[in-house]
Amino acid sequence: MDQLTQPTQLSEEAILEVLKQFITEVIGQEFVEDLDITPQSSFTKDLEMDSIEIVAFSEKVKAHFGKDIDFTGWLSNMDLDEIINLNLGDITKYIQSCL
Amino acid sequence: MSKFLFVVPPFFGHISPTLSVGATLIGRGHQVTWVGIQEIAAEHIPAGGRFIVPHAELEEHLPEIRRILKRQDDGPNISGAETLKLALEETYMPFCRFIMKGLERIADEFQPDVIVNDCITFAGAICAYNKGIPYVTTTPVPPDVGGDAMSAPKVHAWWVRNILELQQSFGIYASTAIVNSGELNLVFTSQEFAAIAQPPEYMKFVGPVKGRPNNTPFDWERLEKAVGPKVYVSLGTLLVDIRKDFFSKLIAAFADEPLTIVAATSPDIFEQWPDNFIVQGYVPQTQLIAKMDAVICHGGFNTVNDTFMNGLPMLITPIAYDHFHTASLIEKAGCGIKLRYKRLRVNDLKAAMWEILRNPQYRSAAAHIRDTYIQAGGNDKAVEYLETFAASKRLVAF
Repeated sequence: MDQLTQPTQLSEEAILEVLKQFITEVIGQEFVEDLDITPQSSFTKDLEMDSIEIVAFSEKVKAHFGKDIDFTGWLSNMDLDEIINLNLGDITKYIQSCL
Repeated sequence: MSKFLFVVPPFFGHISPTLSVGATLIGRGHQVTWVGIQEIAAEHIPAGGRFIVPHAELEEHLPEIRRILKRQDDGPNISGAETLKLALEETYMPFCRFIMKGLERIADEFQPDVIVNDCITFAGAICAYNKGIPYVTTTPVPPDVGGDAMSAPKVHAWWVRNILELQQSFGIYASTAIVNSGELNLVFTSQEFAAIAQPPEYMKFVGPVKGRPNNTPFDWERLEKAVGPKVYVSLGTLLVDIRKDFFSKLIAAFADEPLTIVAATSPDIFEQWPDNFIVQGYVPQTQLIAKMDAVICHGGFNTVNDTFMNGLPMLITPIAYDHFHTASLIEKAGCGIKLRYKRLRVNDLKAAMWEILRNPQYRSAAAHIRDTYIQAGGNDKAVEYLETFAASKRLVAF
């Protein structure tokens, strides 16, 4: 089980490390190996997550950072260009803003 | 007898069912003409029908049409959100603008009783609306009603805004989209497979429609001698760039397995193929699938229909566009397994293939889908709807 951390002390770097782990779990180690995951990584273009993977990722984020983080709800309020340009740094900042 | 004018995009998967329905209409004495922005091979056009490309009016758009067609190859390499933009803003809307002038001329000359527009070929509906001609829509794939991508409110609003602007640019100030018919929309699958519990009244599921026989030669003798289960593989007519990568994985997965792969792809992508791979560029797909035990494809809908018409299980590897929706329907119906192309692992391919070949539940679910397809009525049902529609409009006109 994922532990509920003490979130207020988390830096963006620390959040990013956790997210990298979740991404690896969701899309699989062998597909992550070819990727250089940085805050600039595009969620849809570089990580190529499909909707099922996004839901799985979102569940992990909730379980770890707290159930108030409505990641899929946040995504569904975006327009197309926001979705296309969404990168990991944006997600890190969003999670931090919820903590 | 009535005159039907089909308006189609330059994508064969969308054109193909209209050719089948058109052939049946012609056989019953109706006049049928197609309008498209690109010629199709003469052998595909039903005898007695005409396929018109208004070259004179399209000429100024040719470089742009070529660029857009080439751009479709990017589909597998861009995200779902980007393919939506590519589809609507960069493909459907420009094609609508390019064809309109020529289409209007042909409509004036042919004087159709009914215009039949393909679901992404908005020009047909807009032209019909402006000329007061009744129109019907054809939808080759199961519609993704309230689907993932479009469920985001801002994405949905973007779609509607673009459609309304397109309509307005042709002088239509309706407050809703008119680019698909609100009176009759023929969908070439079964309602059960499409998994739409309460479809709108105008949506009619007629199942797959049959075309003319494909007499492409094939080495049937070699197939007779083939060992083990036979698996047909097709990537359809698009998606040229990814063939090598896709078939490399298939070779890694199946070269040493006791089964035979029949692949519809140009053999020249590799110097040598394993002995248990029968490879040919163009194949008589319908006849071939009837002799298979399973099918691997990315979700092109003509292959999906041929597969379940034969009650075969499918391993679907969705790549882009509507493939994901089709894959989810296959999983829901239990007639196959989905492995996403971008996450294709050789071991998963192998395991999934043997699972659908050995576990009879996939085959029986596929047989059930075949039954729903047959019950949907096919060509005859589609033509019955079209004739009834045309007759009801004629009554109104009197």
